[in-house]
Amino acid sequence: MSVPVDPVFLRVAAGSLAAACDEMGEVLVRAAHSANIKERRDCSTGLFDPAGEMTMQAEHIPVHLGAMPAAVEALLGESHAPGDGWMLNDPYTGGTHLPDITVVTPIFTANGDSLGFAACRAHHADVGGDAPGSMPADSTRLDQEGVVIPPTRFAHGGKIDHAVLDAITRQMRNPAQRTADLRAQLAACRRGESRVREFADRYGADAYREALAAVLDYAERQTRAGIAALADGEYAAEDFMEDDARGTHDLSLRLKATVTGDRLTLDFTGSDAQHEGNLNCPLAVTLSACYFAVRVLTAPDVPACAGAYRPVEVIAPPGTLLNAQPPAAVAGGNVETSSRVADLVLAAFGRAQGQGTMNNFTLGNERFTHYETLGGGQGACPDAPGPSAVHVAMSNTLNTPVEALELEFPLRVREYALRRASGGHGAQPGGDGVVREIEALETIEWSLIAERRRYAPRGAAGGGDGTPGRDFAAGEAVAGKARGRLTAGQTLRIETPGGGGHGHF
Amino acid sequence: MPPATTLAVDVGGTFTDAVLVTADGEIHTGKTPTTPDDQSLGVIAAAELALAAGGVSPREVDSFIHGMTVTTNALLEGRFAKTLLLATHGFEDIEQLGRQNRPSLYRLCEDRAAAIVPPDLRFGVRERCGPDGMLEPLDEASLRETLAACAGLGVESVAVCLLFSFRYPEHELRVGELVAELLPEAHVSLSHAVVGTFREYERCATTVADAALAPLLAGYLTRLTERASATGLPAPDVMLSNGGSAPAALAARNAASTVLSGPAGGAVGMARAARRGGATRALGFDMGGTSTDISVVHDGEVRVTAAREIAGRPVALPASDIFTVGAGGGSIAWCDEGGALRVGPRSAGARPGPACYGHGGELPTVTDANLLLGRLGERSALAGGLRLDRAAAERAIDTLAGRLGIDTTEAAAGIVRIANLEMLRATGSATIARGIDPRDHTLVAFGGAGPMHAAAIAEELGVTTVVCPAACGVLSAYGMAVAGRRRDRSQSVVRRVDELEHDELSRLAETLRTAAAADLGLPEAALDSLVCELRYAGQAFELPVETESSATAGDLTAAFRAEHERRYGFADEHAPVELVTLRVSVAVGGQAGDPFADRPSSTTGEPETRSASRLRTVWFDGAWHDATVVSEGPPPGTPLDGPAIIEQAQATIVVPPGWRATATAAGDVSLNRTGGDVAPGEVS
Repeated sequence: MSVPVDPVFLRVAAGSLAAACDEMGEVLVRAAHSANIKERRDCSTGLFDPAGEMTMQAEHIPVHLGAMPAAVEALLGESHAPGDGWMLNDPYTGGTHLPDITVVTPIFTANGDSLGFAACRAHHADVGGDAPGSMPADSTRLDQEGVVIPPTRFAHGGKIDHAVLDAITRQMRNPAQRTADLRAQLAACRRGESRVREFADRYGADAYREALAAVLDYAERQTRAGIAALADGEYAAEDFMEDDARGTHDLSLRLKATVTGDRLTLDFTGSDAQHEGNLNCPLAVTLSACYFAVRVLTAPDVPACAGAYRPVEVIAPPGTLLNAQPPAAVAGGNVETSSRVADLVLAAFGRAQGQGTMNNFTLGNERFTHYETLGGGQGACPDAPGPSAVHVAMSNTLNTPVEALELEFPLRVREYALRRASGGHGAQPGGDGVVREIEALETIEWSLIAERRRYAPRGAAGGGDGTPGRDFAAGEAVAGKARGRLTAGQTLRIETPGGGGHGHF
Repeated sequence: MPPATTLAVDVGGTFTDAVLVTADGEIHTGKTPTTPDDQSLGVIAAAELALAAGGVSPREVDSFIHGMTVTTNALLEGRFAKTLLLATHGFEDIEQLGRQNRPSLYRLCEDRAAAIVPPDLRFGVRERCGPDGMLEPLDEASLRETLAACAGLGVESVAVCLLFSFRYPEHELRVGELVAELLPEAHVSLSHAVVGTFREYERCATTVADAALAPLLAGYLTRLTERASATGLPAPDVMLSNGGSAPAALAARNAASTVLSGPAGGAVGMARAARRGGATRALGFDMGGTSTDISVVHDGEVRVTAAREIAGRPVALPASDIFTVGAGGGSIAWCDEGGALRVGPRSAGARPGPACYGHGGELPTVTDANLLLGRLGERSALAGGLRLDRAAAERAIDTLAGRLGIDTTEAAAGIVRIANLEMLRATGSATIARGIDPRDHTLVAFGGAGPMHAAAIAEELGVTTVVCPAACGVLSAYGMAVAGRRRDRSQSVVRRVDELEHDELSRLAETLRTAAAADLGLPEAALDSLVCELRYAGQAFELPVETESSATAGDLTAAFRAEHERRYGFADEHAPVELVTLRVSVAVGGQAGDPFADRPSSTTGEPETRSASRLRTVWFDGAWHDATVVSEGPPPGTPLDGPAIIEQAQATIVVPPGWRATATAAGDVSLNRTGGDVAPGEVS
């Protein structure tokens, strides 16, 4: 809370940074090859100051909120030169889960002074490992989920080092597509670099760095104002992850939230230890989920930057599910446990819960891989019903059109419809889930990672719970985390959960 | 094209404008208040004014063109006909499911636009086609039962959207026949005919909107045609979103293609002004009270997009590529929780309007800031002839300035600067994000506030020329008068180009051309443009490439790679290329010439007497300057250097220091960057 900056320039700086991030996202989405990135926009872009603080992020998908800074932090100790490009996906060194590959480039003035970093993260269709799509339902070690990429320099002097890149992509299922996507990511970062240099050329490098500091302070003030509006005191919530893949025991998550003036502490001490399955979260993922929920509760329009999170302290003891240590598997943590962390924070403050899962599934064989996530019911708000058939928390990706899916893959959609009356009742009802049933036209492997199959999304203030999800393979009920094989003519049917209602009906 | 007498009438939110272009190239105008309950009343009234001004009888009018907001307003306000949706069994909810994304990441209960068809009016049709043909025959018996059961429901319109109908339309056609038989009163929209492209949600939502708007539009156009006929005018043509017009009967059958009728006219008028100024590449900057529209013109043609969103709903039909941002003269300035100055998205609207309108508004707006900074004169016509209330503007901005901890003038200058930034971002989205470099464009400024902000925006964009067109108050109607008829037809193909038969492209193009020409009632009409939307096989986004119908697979591949390289900086030399959609347009008529460029001196809009200039203090670049204030453009050939303000009847043009204004014989005023003494970003 230092630099006094005029209220006009503050907005100019924040707007310019946000526009640069948006533009990076446009370059990435339009130049990438993976459907995950292009159709579903499972990607994020951001700009960082020289100290590695995130100064702005394009808001494509919240699960990357707190995780992007970890990627840049992992590179701070390296030596950087203009034209360098780095990639990484190691969840324990700046990543989240393996399909999310982050590309980072350093930004310099013409004189060689650092202006920070441009970064973008994208969910690749496959990064190798045991299962097509690299999201195995039953992994127990990280290396089963795909190629682990530590921070690796794959571009020098503005040129891609193909020897380095090929050595990595060769271990994945579609090396040509991986190369194309990584090239698109690099192009996005280069666009961010250009925009930052233009800003610095125009206002001066010092003014640029001061502007970054001012934007961080500005976001911090907004979040503090939002937290101060919450009543002081302690709030608590408990919830569970369904450990179906291992069949051992469900995993308990506990939160004690404390509001003191304009500060918020989220303490997950008492949550279960990391487990043998893949629901573990690296700390970066836990932070993302907490920041998401805090934004929902306090200042939805605050610039997405590190300053917004300064008033929030997150405590998650190492070795627990929410601060897992190597070599724990993490495929489900990023997509599923993260949703539950957000649920805990929202529930502690009296909000009804949404579907609380992304209903991840992967279909494929040696010829193709297709990964999808499905929307469901949103929890009701005190003043509005929960929307139906939407991604509710950490994801906001688009669906794959039925016609696009059938034109490209040996798959046929039998049904895609609202799951009527699955939302919880209430003065404000919860949203409905969806039904999607897909038929295999040849033999395929399938893999499902879904939650809220046994523990329903809860209502609030007297509102009813949402209906839990259900899944069927070849007509037989299966668990929310499972994998198997379908022969031609058999189907995978997924019915996603409804959201909780709010208030007595 | 022999010269003809053309009458165009544009219905805006407040005024209805008419422009009459006579066979001699004379231009006459008429302006009346819009009649919201039945727009056709105002249309005829404005038309009669323009005709009277020109001494032209209705029977001398060869062509009567009309731009309207009937469908736009219905879409925005949710006024729809009672509409049934017939969809492939198992996919009845497609319209409501959307693409499963939520509109706001952090406002969790903010929902998408509600589905037009409620759940109890969605019915499944037992049939199924896949990518390679029919999988399940149409079950006519069960469909007959469904339709019979709906007979007493008062259904006004039916939308039909079956999977893969863009490739296999037979089932939709048969369903259409059955609806016509069993619900004979209802309008029918078939998705393959209305849209013709793949991706079921966008096709379905567009078809539903088309069906739900059709009865309203048909009723309106029938009334207008009757009134026109009673007046002695010919049957009207309707301006479509694509920048061309169509006979009323055709427009009535294609309601979804009229939702951008008015703005499309403005874009054409803007394109003509750009052409007069010799600009091959131009950006339209239409800043009004509540919103700003940005459009792109290349080689005299308005850029057309294959699909866009209106009121939160996709409309997958060709439309002028107009990018709208919710900031304008009425946008309200405020101080946020973090202490930053913000402008919009809330607007003071027409009532109460900006504080200076004196209608009781107390919140500071961009217009109030312009008044305090001396950009806007107190006698501006903005508030409908009322004198602007400077004290009210000062009170409003003073309160905000206190909150921000800066003085009133700084706050006013800040408001203008932040508003410009919002519009700059929109301009970036309309250009950079579409692979267009704005710097080699001319900015064409119109709308109530456009010419006031244009030079500052140009400065930020790196644009060195601004054109403020003549008669900018009736630019949309003028655009309609010169546009000509146009009809588009599209069809998705979704096949690799190297798998197409050698003459398949030309055969498909000819089929679409024939259909489009027949729609216009001119079977011989030639192909105006053929656009192939191409992508790398497996990609989800396609890029439009204009081609000849004789293009080979090799030509298409090369053209696509070049476009990909231009837009994204790289192209894959090996990946196969897919033809996703073919778009054909047919255009006829239109004024090739420009009545403004060589109009006789007697026509409307010429200055009567040139009043003497005076001085006013105006804030630029952090200081007060003595600016020359004149009431019309400088005489042609006599430049006017900034700081200066040109207060025309229809627009106030701000000429900042470092800029020079010159007027042309046509009445356009162009602003050019002259000096290098003003740092970019400081002109506000």
